[in-house]
Amino acid sequence: MSVILGYVATILVTFFTYNIFTLGLNIQFGYAGILNFTVITFMAMGAYFYAVFVMPPANASNQVFYILGLHWPWPLASIAGVVASGALGYLIGLIALKRLRSDYLAIVTLATGTLLYGLSGDNNKLFDGWAGLFAVNQPFQSVANNNPNTFSWIFVVISGLVMLAVWWFANQLYSSPLGRSMRAIREDQDVVDAFGKNTFKVRMLAMVIGSTIVGIGGVLTIQYIGALSPAGWTTGETFVVWAALLVGGRGNNIGAMLGSLLVAVVFNEGTRYIPQVASNPNLVPDLRNIIIGSLVILSIWFRPQGVLPEKKAKFFELPLKDKYAQTFGGSKADQDLVVEV
Amino acid sequence: MSNVLEVNDVHVAFGGLKAIDGCSFTVEKGTITALIGPNGAGKSTMVGSIAGAVSISSGSITFDGNNISSLPTYKRAQEGLIRTYQISREFGGMSVLENLLVVRLGQSGESLINAVFRPKKSKAETNELVAEANDILNTFGLYRLRNEYASNLSGGQKRLLELSRAVMAKPKMLLLDEPMAGVTPALIEILGEHLLELNRSTGMSMLLVEHNLEVVDKICSRVVVMAVGKRLAEGTLGELRQNRDVVEAYLGGEVHERVGG
Repeated sequence: MSVILGYVATILVTFFTYNIFTLGLNIQFGYAGILNFTVITFMAMGAYFYAVFVMPPANASNQVFYILGLHWPWPLASIAGVVASGALGYLIGLIALKRLRSDYLAIVTLATGTLLYGLSGDNNKLFDGWAGLFAVNQPFQSVANNNPNTFSWIFVVISGLVMLAVWWFANQLYSSPLGRSMRAIREDQDVVDAFGKNTFKVRMLAMVIGSTIVGIGGVLTIQYIGALSPAGWTTGETFVVWAALLVGGRGNNIGAMLGSLLVAVVFNEGTRYIPQVASNPNLVPDLRNIIIGSLVILSIWFRPQGVLPEKKAKFFELPLKDKYAQTFGGSKADQDLVVEV
Repeated sequence: MSNVLEVNDVHVAFGGLKAIDGCSFTVEKGTITALIGPNGAGKSTMVGSIAGAVSISSGSITFDGNNISSLPTYKRAQEGLIRTYQISREFGGMSVLENLLVVRLGQSGESLINAVFRPKKSKAETNELVAEANDILNTFGLYRLRNEYASNLSGGQKRLLELSRAVMAKPKMLLLDEPMAGVTPALIEILGEHLLELNRSTGMSMLLVEHNLEVVDKICSRVVVMAVGKRLAEGTLGELRQNRDVVEAYLGGEVHERVGG
């Protein structure tokens, strides 16, 4: 029973954190049209920086190396992790958003992500290289040690609450004039520019907000698992988040949630139960990627806007005043004309 | 009367091609001035360089007393200089109404803090803008389509949206790049009257690139003719019809008899 309880908790935490990643990507891509092909790097950034702020100084005699090791309390370290991923978003934005758009921008993000991946893997002084960080201090450490299931359920509540906060934030942003500007930039950046908005600034905001949110998910991930190595944030992971958003429905936060449920939980977890083939241990992970890939292809083929497409904005409206409906400078501007257009 | 726009010896080159080759003209405040000329004369490039989409290699552009030659596009728009495009560029994935709402500058909900934490104030503002936008949409005959996705409009309706969106931005001056292109004759007349009425009631200056000389005749008090990147002539349409150079450059020999005669 307790195994099942623990498993259900893990599934829920996975769902909540993936939903946070997807919401972050939705603000970047679904709102502002920024093709961020290195979503998972921001997750790693948040996780690693949480770790090096919360862990005690590295102990060289254990052959474990990492920077900082400030041993801060976990709430402060969490903030440090989130700020670090937001800052990385800002830096990548400076390079990529000033002059580039669409596919060129995507290439820059992909390249930056690959660079950082290689850097943190090959340089074992940063985050302990390919071995990665482990035994990272968790919140409620004693509960985690003595009563793992209780810890898991505490974490379900924490990550659930954080997810709800992010969800609320994303929805507030979506329906605001700022969110509207972001979506207009997604549709046609030049035109928004020609109407007097500083599109670089607005896109940068979307970039930093999205990266920060993905970083929040990263902090939660490492707090829950207590470890992270580069194998946990390969480029392929980025496309799990992308798949979740595309399948669910870009621009729609409920779609993003549904997508994370389908892709991250149902397909990613569901395929775990395919029996292992001893002679070919890579078969199941490969199969998982094939399934997720096919899902994306099918959903783009049959539902290009996702399972839940973006919703049309609704406004509070008063009926038109009559004088406007009748005349404009002596000419009849009635709506029947439109039919002829 | 002072000039709202002064274009002074502007040059624009794309590689070796001189798209604009020393062009100068002015637009008087509160007037509708037409910019006409044969295809390839550099009219759209001129609109682009005034709006900031095309950078000029020499010369100067003064708007409302300020030299705007080196300002980025969005700052020129903030000064009150708004353009429309020769080919409609609507925000397709947004409703017609939203297309208008997005362009108004200075909304409090454009700052992140207000957007997320003070939605009430921003919503009240948006409600007022919705009413204003609906009036404009009604004027341009798009009210019934306000909740339609802009991408679903017909070609002519998109031209109307292009104009209503520009009006919603409350510009001091409108740069209209062939607003009547692809619009039925009946609608052209109505659009022309709307522009004229807008000009009369708000004093909005306009520079209108247009091939339809009937429209130019009806609503433009002054006409600038461009050919091969230069200003060829300037005056009222009546004066220009007597001008041999203009008739030859713009209308060609054949039409000469009919128009010039």
